[in-house]
Amino acid sequence: MTAVGDGLDRPSNNGVAPPQGRAGVKLVEVDGLTVSFGEGSGSVRAVEDVSLSVYEGDIYALVGESGCGKSTLAYSLLDIVPPPGRISAGDVRVRGQSLKSLPRKELRRLLGAEIAIVFQAAMNAFNPVITIGEQVEHILKAHPEVFPDRQEGRAYFEHLLELVSLPPERIWDSFESQLSGGMKQRVAIAVTLLLKPSVLVLDEPTTALDVLNQRLVIDILRDLHETLGITILFVTHDLAVVAELATRVAVMYAGRLVEAGTVREIFKSERRHPYVEALINAIPSILDRGLTVHPIGGQVPNLAELPVGCRFAPRCPHAQEICRRIEPPLLADDEDHLVACHVVNHQLEVPAR
Amino acid sequence: MTLLEVDQVTHRYDAGSPRPVLRNIELSVGADEVVALVGESGCGKTTLGKIVSGLVEPSNGTIRFEGADIASLRGKKRRSWRRSVQMVHQDPYSSLNPGLTIGTALGAGLLRHGLATRRTLDTELLAILRQVGLDATPDFLRRYPHQLSGGQRQRVAIARAISLQPELIVADEVTSMLDVSMRVAILDLLLKFRRERQLGFVFISHDFGVVRYFTQGGRILVMFYGVVVEQGPTEQVIGDPRHPYTYLLLKAIPVPDPDLAWERRDVEVAERLQGEPSLRGCIFSNRCPFAEERCRDHVPPLVDLGNGQQAACFFPDRVRSLDEPVTQGGPHDAPGVRTAADEDGDCATRSVRPGPASRHVQG
Repeated sequence: MTAVGDGLDRPSNNGVAPPQGRAGVKLVEVDGLTVSFGEGSGSVRAVEDVSLSVYEGDIYALVGESGCGKSTLAYSLLDIVPPPGRISAGDVRVRGQSLKSLPRKELRRLLGAEIAIVFQAAMNAFNPVITIGEQVEHILKAHPEVFPDRQEGRAYFEHLLELVSLPPERIWDSFESQLSGGMKQRVAIAVTLLLKPSVLVLDEPTTALDVLNQRLVIDILRDLHETLGITILFVTHDLAVVAELATRVAVMYAGRLVEAGTVREIFKSERRHPYVEALINAIPSILDRGLTVHPIGGQVPNLAELPVGCRFAPRCPHAQEICRRIEPPLLADDEDHLVACHVVNHQLEVPAR
Repeated sequence: MTLLEVDQVTHRYDAGSPRPVLRNIELSVGADEVVALVGESGCGKTTLGKIVSGLVEPSNGTIRFEGADIASLRGKKRRSWRRSVQMVHQDPYSSLNPGLTIGTALGAGLLRHGLATRRTLDTELLAILRQVGLDATPDFLRRYPHQLSGGQRQRVAIARAISLQPELIVADEVTSMLDVSMRVAILDLLLKFRRERQLGFVFISHDFGVVRYFTQGGRILVMFYGVVVEQGPTEQVIGDPRHPYTYLLLKAIPVPDPDLAWERRDVEVAERLQGEPSLRGCIFSNRCPFAEERCRDHVPPLVDLGNGQQAACFFPDRVRSLDEPVTQGGPHDAPGVRTAADEDGDCATRSVRPGPASRHVQG
């Protein structure tokens, strides 16, 4: 396991101390990415000018409300943005290789080996008329490069099932209809890991699960991260799950990145984006402070009719005149904690006396 | 006054199954009272919600509404009961007919129950939209569900229930399909109606956080595979759970604070919460950290523990010995390993968790 820069100094299983700062292997680099839907004046940008880096060993959370562009961003990492969406500016690099520059076939090979995704509707990811085992056989047959010996592949899959807390012998001969929603979700995670990707992407892995299954998925992902050393990027709207699982967090609002940093910076730092603050204060939780939550007033803006200036300004209790005129830049402090807010960043912009 | 009484209700969807979906459920909800049903998927909470709404007929037992057995209601009385109990479903994407405009969907009930005439319908509908915080315009009434966001749809579903002037609302996981940011707004809307109209609520959820927020001053029933294992006043059950299942469920909930999440971390919780319910003895004995011979042979009854709290456990004091209150967190005085040496000495394993001494929080 490498580079768990979450600022919590969590003891790792193998006793390796987390390195300081952002050293290590950069697995995924998103650089000025814009994803557009439609053409010309009618087009909307679901993702706009987003840059972020996922390092080996990260558990990276991509957070935001419905329609903020978080899933679209995740899809663009695998070059699977559904049409008519397309990457209209910027680039995604995986292990330093630009997805733009690669020929189709090599792109497939790179992504196949490096990144795999568990979709939100993982419950519907299986063919209902053949057993889980047969589906795994199909995958192994299509990718002889990973397991030349298919028996070995099957053994590895069974090992993965154990890691996701499922009984291998029972799952192999099951049809998807014989499994509960929570079990299917975990089988989907095991199948996705079969070809040994470096990065596991999960779209809303805990949404629509009950508390027990949420807890299981959180524990299992943490476990996979430790035992397989896998890097995880997950998309969610649930900040409680972020607090439990993530080491690093990027928060999106209306297509733009508004804050990014370690999980502790996001939840504990004094310098926080008002939107993130509002999100955290809007979660009813079992904690005593969960009794004094407040909804976020207003609505997420329509991407086709974005306000001038900061996109959150119409809902922001701290908005100033400048917020309604100029889009705030994403500024970092010494610790590389990024916030895009005029009010919060005011002090950073003032030259030191 | 008691609005709703559930008397010894048992239900099986499949007559041959060894385990009923609901077993001997007792529940009463007063006017202006809120009772939450909490438990994992498959515990029967939604079935119970459907039974009290009259959507499912129980295999055994009686449901009384304002004193009358609902199975015996006919004609006008039956219609009046139908109107008085309204359900708000979990999924606003499937609970609204995609082929009907919002106006048609909302109007049908009002006309059916004589709460509006063709002439007054539009005025009534606009007033209702305003009450639930939606755009109160004729244009909105002409929209279809697919043109609305999840939060707007759920407001329409609430409007549909509220517009019939019910006395009891059965709210089934009304926020679980919504963005976290929208949950409080929807809960606040329901709370507003609860306050203004003194409605009774049966509030179904697997999320203790949402339940704690919504049922302040109310009661919680914790269900496990069709059986009520604990019940009592909200703060009592959440702050001082007495059944091990309640305790484990509370521990399983993710909390929006990375430091507390780390302190609360306990891999045993998920392990304990898995596995089939026991067919013999206490239904929770397969998963329980305290299970003994007695638990495997005998079914523990719901026992009164004072303060209106009841738990179906032979050892309701053991949970208290386990840990600090689950709703707080904060630093522990005595970190590290907890032993099983107390109590009867033969308890199963206890959780071993890293205490704050083993970590260094920066900043």
